[in-house]
Amino acid sequence: MLRQLTRSLRLTSRAFTHFNYGTDSTAGQIPVTQALVGWAEKLKAAGIEDTKFNLKCIISHVLNKKFNTVPDSFEKLQFNSSQLADFERFLEARCARMPLQHIIGEWDFMDITLKTAPTVFIPRPETEEFVRLVIENYKNEKHVNLLEVGCGSGAMSLAMLHSLPQVVSTAIERSKAATVLAAENAKLLNLQDRFTVHNHTMEEDKYMPEELKDKKYDLIISNPPYVKTEEFQYLHPEVVVYENLNALDGGSDGLRVARLVFELACRHLHPGGKLWLELGNEHPPMVKTIMNLKYEGRLKFIASYNDQYKRERFVQIEKV
Amino acid sequence: MLVRKLLSPRMGNLARRWASTNQLNFQNEKMQGYLECLRQEYYGLRVSAGGNSKAYARLAQLEGVVTALEQRRVLERNITSAQDMELEKDEDMRSLMQEENAIYTDLLSKQEQTLLRELLAMADDEVYPALIFGINAGAGGQEAMLFAQELYEMYTNYFEHKGWDYEEFAHETTDIGGIRHASIMVSGEDAFTWLRHEAGVHRVQRVPATEKSGRMHTSTASITVIPRPADVQVHIADKDLKIETKRASGAGGQHVNTTDSAVRIVHLPTGLAVEAQSERSQLKNRELAMSRLRSRLVQRQLESAEASTKATKKAQQGSLNRNEKIRTYNFVQDRITDHRLQGGTMHNLDGFLKGGEQLTSLIEKLQLEHRKERLKDLLEAWQPPQEAINKS
Repeated sequence: MLRQLTRSLRLTSRAFTHFNYGTDSTAGQIPVTQALVGWAEKLKAAGIEDTKFNLKCIISHVLNKKFNTVPDSFEKLQFNSSQLADFERFLEARCARMPLQHIIGEWDFMDITLKTAPTVFIPRPETEEFVRLVIENYKNEKHVNLLEVGCGSGAMSLAMLHSLPQVVSTAIERSKAATVLAAENAKLLNLQDRFTVHNHTMEEDKYMPEELKDKKYDLIISNPPYVKTEEFQYLHPEVVVYENLNALDGGSDGLRVARLVFELACRHLHPGGKLWLELGNEHPPMVKTIMNLKYEGRLKFIASYNDQYKRERFVQIEKV
Repeated sequence: MLVRKLLSPRMGNLARRWASTNQLNFQNEKMQGYLECLRQEYYGLRVSAGGNSKAYARLAQLEGVVTALEQRRVLERNITSAQDMELEKDEDMRSLMQEENAIYTDLLSKQEQTLLRELLAMADDEVYPALIFGINAGAGGQEAMLFAQELYEMYTNYFEHKGWDYEEFAHETTDIGGIRHASIMVSGEDAFTWLRHEAGVHRVQRVPATEKSGRMHTSTASITVIPRPADVQVHIADKDLKIETKRASGAGGQHVNTTDSAVRIVHLPTGLAVEAQSERSQLKNRELAMSRLRSRLVQRQLESAEASTKATKKAQQGSLNRNEKIRTYNFVQDRITDHRLQGGTMHNLDGFLKGGEQLTSLIEKLQLEHRKERLKDLLEAWQPPQEAINKS
């Protein structure tokens, strides 16, 4: 009788350890390599490229470690049970094509790290190249009074302020959520003394908010919405579903908002001041034509530049 | 009388010490001339340095020696000579003098140590802003590669311990956790004067983890240290670069949201390819890749026969011979023996392999030996300047 009892006890305990296989009930730790099993394939099946990078981003976020401190091999890393739950939740979201930058709640842009928020436009790698170019052009200026039109999370302005102490930036932004986020990012980066952001929607004859209507600037930068309406069907799911379409929709030729920025630049740039724009592939030649036809004596097309993928994307315009 | 008795063994000690390091004796006439020459150079420079950064660097180098020298001279003047002592008839006065002399002699010997330290530091005057530190597994197969990995950990810890920046730009690993080869660029003003003593063949004796029958093996790994002179510049033209990211084609900008952060750069003239993917920002990765490429090109340049003989010829003397077996790590006896030092055996291998204070103290000994040799050579080669001879 007793022997039978101990035997069954031994069996159940063996079964118990078997159920807990890999989760090690005392510490609740599970090796990351084990948690990873199968996810790369799931991500690929969901249409996500660069799965390794996606996984590493999410792992470092779950472990609350800086991305560049996490080794490429995860052999020595462990999740506890709540981290494991987060990890799986985040990956489910990623499979549903939620942008990686929204999942982990922050993203690096040049030398700064920005908080991200749902619906607020996420800066792209090309925008880093754009800002690098602008910084290159202004690094030797003594003082720069900068205006950014449509700042989103604040990436462009804040990256400029971060690398150039002589810049002071004002920004306007139509989305309330983005306005709040940009101000918060400025604070997190301790740049709030040189950065102000106004919630304002640009309209014809009301380009600037009331309190800024007489202000003039040395430099205006903008990455206005430039996606043509007809191109909306080709956008990535991450973009269509999760990003604010107001930050993308550039009307039938993609230049609807850019045209408003031209008008704004005429009124709010000092003579000799510059307007720098990041636009779509075929836009720079169109902008050149518009400048020649409509803005003679007011704005002058200076040059266009390629992004890092060798696409002609950026323009520089001067106020006459 | 008592004082004299107390004094005599001390003097004897002093004399013996002088005798043993004779060339570096401050009573030595040549040494005196050399020091005086340094002092004159120092004051000459102080008058004429005006805005010349090279002169300021030399001034800073000389300052320690000159200050120590002048303090020594003051002390020397305070010692009453034997003749004066003889002339003094008053017994009390004489014992007072002797007492005083004992104190000054003591101070003088301390001061001489300071002066010697300054002089020795000055003799080690090869300053390089950076160096390329190489680790190569030698004889012994897998075991040698495992040992190379341990050395790699020891030295990277040591770089951190010393606060030097380092960047790795080549690393070949093996399946069982060893490395074949690693190249690391180490930056830091004093990095070279420390690490140069590590160049050579390191030998390990132990029962390897890979060994089934429990036999002891002897394997080796070699360390190379190539100084990077300040004036090595590589010019990289934009047209020579092919910069690749994961996203080669397709729409860009606002149309897509791919993170696309990994960067690979190919330097077309040399065919060198470097990658960077440790950052989330593409631009940061590009900067990283560029600096890696630059390091690789510099390394190539340094290792190319001509440049490397030019840069390392001086440094290779003595301590930098690549083929010399310099140290043994014996795990069975838990000891490290440096073959260049007399009594160069230490224990606590685990502590040593952490790359901290223990390594520092060993290198300090090597440094001292090296500097003494350098100073002797320097003195031997030194000729009193012409005008000084004319004056005397």
